[in-house]
Amino acid sequence: MVIHGGDAVKVQILGTGCPKCRTLEANAKAAISELGLEAEVEKVTDIEAIMAMGVMMTPALAVDGTVKSVGRVLTKDQIISFIRGGK
Amino acid sequence: MAGCSCGQEKTIIITACSGAANTGLLADQVARKLRAEKVGSMTCLAAIGAELSGYVESARNADRNIIIDGCPVACGAKIFQKLGLKYEEYVMADYEPEKGKTEITQALINDISAHVKADIGSKQACGSALSTTSSI
Repeated sequence: MVIHGGDAVKVQILGTGCPKCRTLEANAKAAISELGLEAEVEKVTDIEAIMAMGVMMTPALAVDGTVKSVGRVLTKDQIISFIRGGK
Repeated sequence: MAGCSCGQEKTIIITACSGAANTGLLADQVARKLRAEKVGSMTCLAAIGAELSGYVESARNADRNIIIDGCPVACGAKIFQKLGLKYEEYVMADYEPEKGKTEITQALINDISAHVKADIGSKQACGSALSTTSSI
């Protein structure tokens, strides 16, 4: 199965550091680990940077610059689905 | 920004058509007044129309999306329909103003925004089903 185009996946966790943000980050790392991907996980905590991406509620998750989820703590499996390109 | 979802407060996002006509100007000004009065957070309808992911997903996850359209062309509502997002719409021309004719004054902005604010609040208070919604 081709999960990605070959380049490292960039996963961004958008949030100011609340418990939900940290849970989302942990789930994202678990998802990446399970997929065995080469991935960069970036925490975006600057409120201006978050708003510049159009995100109105946190935590949010973006994959390769595309916001996939806003205001929800995704499970590991949900994040795997998003990384695979699903919804 | 509406804020972190760790809190329990409802997320209300306000968008306006901000169209070229006088009613578009009124829609824009009413939306800004609602934001100033902390009815909700205002975001860019154009960004949602352009399907920028952060804006679309924010609208998808909001508890309520309030669209202020200027006229019955209803560009705002049509954008939300196209994207399958739930919304509540207020059309400025349904109130006093006539498209292309009525001068948009501060008194008019204040009057209509007060009506819209009261209506938004009443639906929130009684927990009634949201009108003019489309299913996701």
